[in-house]
Amino acid sequence: MIRRKRLDICLLGFLILSIGCVPKSKPAMSPGSLEDLSGCYAIFPAEPWESVHKIEATIRGSSSSLLGVTKGEPSERRLQSVLLSSEGFILFDAERRENGIAVRKAVAPFDSPAFASGLMEDVTFLFLPPTTEPTTWGKETDGTMICKWEEPDNPHTEITGSMDSGWRILRWDKYGEVIKEVVLSGPFLNGLASRMELRASKPAPYRLRMTLIQAFP
Amino acid sequence: MKRLIFFSVLIAVTIFSVQMAPAQDLTSLKEATRGIRSVKAEFLQTRSLQILTKPLFSEGRLFFYVPDSLRWEYFSPLRSVMLRKGNNIKIYNFSNGAWTPEMPQAVESRRMVLEEISHWFQGRFDESKAFKHFYSPGPPERVILVSNEGINRFINRIEIVLSARPGVIDRVEIEEPGGSRTSIEFKNVEINSSFSSEVFEKP
Repeated sequence: MIRRKRLDICLLGFLILSIGCVPKSKPAMSPGSLEDLSGCYAIFPAEPWESVHKIEATIRGSSSSLLGVTKGEPSERRLQSVLLSSEGFILFDAERRENGIAVRKAVAPFDSPAFASGLMEDVTFLFLPPTTEPTTWGKETDGTMICKWEEPDNPHTEITGSMDSGWRILRWDKYGEVIKEVVLSGPFLNGLASRMELRASKPAPYRLRMTLIQAFP
Repeated sequence: MKRLIFFSVLIAVTIFSVQMAPAQDLTSLKEATRGIRSVKAEFLQTRSLQILTKPLFSEGRLFFYVPDSLRWEYFSPLRSVMLRKGNNIKIYNFSNGAWTPEMPQAVESRRMVLEEISHWFQGRFDESKAFKHFYSPGPPERVILVSNEGINRFINRIEIVLSARPGVIDRVEIEEPGGSRTSIEFKNVEINSSFSSEVFEKP
């Protein structure tokens, strides 16, 4: 009898532990509808804009504070990016057009072609959506959007989140490793997040913390 | 017609004399700053960029002590401070509640800027390696700095507008290639007030 009781207690304990270990079921994701598709673009400005961000850059343990001015024309996928020192000196000024990057001004250590292409790639990643429609998308029952741009053997992108909880953009390389991660936090001002944090892991790790100072539509 | 030519020449001569007058009165300007040991002031900086519809405003303060101690500090939008004491230059940014030192490359690029500003408060415009200087008697009295080869990639000219108070600068206007401009207006200027030398050493 006592042995039976012990067995019952063990089974009960095992059951409790088992319940504790069962993964929380993911909220059901409704398949992508055309209505939801627009949600995949909610974090990108739809109209021409200009913005000023405070940027705290951390690279190899060193940090630097800069002002970043960005002007965008989403319909033409045009972006102009200017980096200023805290005193207001222009350290870097470049424009991204359909046919490439035009650097107007670049002061050392911001004067290498690799820096120009890397910076404009980051600015594009932050402010412009991928050029194609997502391959899959949907909205979870709690309102979280999930949008994926996947191509076999190519880098792919995923955007998840909502206006209430904030957003995350992930970029994988063709080897399946996350190379960039962006976290966007509201409130959103003229379609721009108040705070953004970009973490890049390849080729060299760095972090950019951006705080919106001013924005104009 | 003769009158028109006369006025055209007069206007041309006036413009030329304002922009390119030789520095004949710089000696008296230096003389006026001879009694200055220290300067303390607040400033409002207005940055007009081609890319921006509205200018960007920055506020800050400065401390200067002859001959080469300078604290140039911004409160907003980025809180940062540049410190110069002799050849020693430090730059700090305020981030996450603490002062963090700026990257070494960024410090060196500011050395010339801090040296130039130190010259301005002593009327030592003739010691600039980066600019040719011209004096305009005004009023208001002005010193115009035209950038030498190399610097003109970044700055076209700087106009320093002097106050009626001897040795005091009212405003600095900086013109860059491409049409961007910076205006720095000084206010609450205190001459020869006392302050701790620590302001040039610690953020």
